[in-house]
Amino acid sequence: MTFEAKTSGSDDLKAIISAISTLVEEATFVATAEGITFRGMDPSHVALIDISWPNSAFEKYECDSDIKFGVRIDEFSKLIKRADKKDSIEISISEQNMLLVTVGKNKKYKMRLIESSATDTPLPKIPYDSKIILSSSRFDKILGDVQVVSDYLTIHTSDSKADFSGKGDSGEVVIELEKNTDEIGEISSKEDSTGTYSLEYLNPVVKAVGANAGQITCEFSSAKPIRIEFKVANIGRIHFYLAPRVES
Amino acid sequence: MGLNLKELVIREKTTLQVFSSKVIAIDAYNAIYQFLASIRGPDGLQLADSEGRITSHLSGLLYRNINFLSLGIKPVYVFDGKPPSLKTAEIERRKQIKKDATVKYEKAIAEGNMEDARKFAQQTTSMKDGMVKESKQILTFFGIPYIDAPSEGEATAAHLTNTGQAYASASQDFDSILCGAKRLIRNFTNSGRRKIPNRNTFVEIEPELIETQKTIDALGVSREQLVDIGILIGTDFNPNGFERIGPKTALKMIKQHSRLEDIPQIQEQLQAIDYEQIRKIFLEPLVANVDEIVFGNVDYDGMMNYLVKERSFSEDRIQSSLNRLKKALERKSQNLDQWFS
Repeated sequence: MTFEAKTSGSDDLKAIISAISTLVEEATFVATAEGITFRGMDPSHVALIDISWPNSAFEKYECDSDIKFGVRIDEFSKLIKRADKKDSIEISISEQNMLLVTVGKNKKYKMRLIESSATDTPLPKIPYDSKIILSSSRFDKILGDVQVVSDYLTIHTSDSKADFSGKGDSGEVVIELEKNTDEIGEISSKEDSTGTYSLEYLNPVVKAVGANAGQITCEFSSAKPIRIEFKVANIGRIHFYLAPRVES
Repeated sequence: MGLNLKELVIREKTTLQVFSSKVIAIDAYNAIYQFLASIRGPDGLQLADSEGRITSHLSGLLYRNINFLSLGIKPVYVFDGKPPSLKTAEIERRKQIKKDATVKYEKAIAEGNMEDARKFAQQTTSMKDGMVKESKQILTFFGIPYIDAPSEGEATAAHLTNTGQAYASASQDFDSILCGAKRLIRNFTNSGRRKIPNRNTFVEIEPELIETQKTIDALGVSREQLVDIGILIGTDFNPNGFERIGPKTALKMIKQHSRLEDIPQIQEQLQAIDYEQIRKIFLEPLVANVDEIVFGNVDYDGMMNYLVKERSFSEDRIQSSLNRLKKALERKSQNLDQWFS
């Protein structure tokens, strides 16, 4: 069995681990000849992250048989944070169930792998009526604007515009984005859609991937989960699914 | 205490979260007894209020149920009624253990051996007058329903899983399986580490789910035969079981001879116990029929008043715990599960 993967810098891996750490404490990765994937949900099954990281994203990648490996994400994260921006990170697995992590040229870590208890997580099947494409920095600002008054973000789309709003004990806010402006890449809506989602889940993941993602794509339908796609230069894609809030 | 079915049943690791939005019938005495035994200071003494009245059970019920409700779990507590008369011997036996433990506890204290003192203190644990009433009071503040069983609590809890009014019953005792519970949850609490008495080691405690049908299928016996296996190993109604018969031998004997009456080598011992009556306790238990299980709202002020003013709990701690509950109940994100199929 050979498995070796080497990144050219450390930012992408930091972003991935940081995004995963917002949902789970233990993560099981699957490595195949095509690349590395991760799929997992938070314990209450409100949010799901689905990552696919193709072999082409690595400086060097070799995997001759499919393997699963589990790590405690906080331990892994601490270790990865010891890397400078330009440091390459190389991971492989030893026979003693240890993850070998070489950071830069000469820092060699060994980390104990955990027994992966993960069962296969399915993906939610949702028809998406509406789609918004915008820069991740703009989206991050919107979340910040709404957070001031509310714990929830409501998105409403119609043909020509998207409204982001929030309402709380202290007041409310609406941010309107018109189609065909610099602020927004695309709005399309088969049907007017309104969905409300928890900032408690949205904020950390957007912050985690934020700087590394250029554009993000939000797809949703009324009272259904939202799927946010982050395109990260070298990673391929991260899909983040979040269940809607129900009006009580 | 309890029935040693551990080796035979199929136990699956689980988490509390998967029981979100499900009704779980909890063996109330079993839970309260555990709080009384485990919520103790390093010297083995239980928590008490300013008048010296024990509060370990209240503390346990408070934090445990905040956790359940925050996760969307719907607990219903089932209290024991009158124990079957066959249980007298077992009850006497437990009393004796407590008496012995009290003596040992005092000796350990006198010798300054705190490790032993704590262990023996736990063994002296008993329910005192008023504790059931106080526990019910806490549940009422939570809006959590409770049921008074006519006899054994686990029998009524098991019954609720069969009427569909509860998804599973929760108890540490395997008796629930003999009572016919569809599903039994053990360690129905957050996973965490517990210290093993007398040793400097910890075990990981995780909730586990036992589906009775799976166990019955795997063992290749009927429910009636499972009860016979239980009697061979020893139940609360024949605590000593049979000489030199453990779980594996019991299973083998029943698979070979199919029922107690037909196992030649045990006939003498069998005559000494009222096995038909014991079978009946498990197979046709006396249970409460409940029309509807109604969940109420949390009475935050009532809870504060009682715990802080009457029972000397810390106002700050209760306030912050109740705030956490309030916040959790207000947050109502759906989960993704319904979109998977």
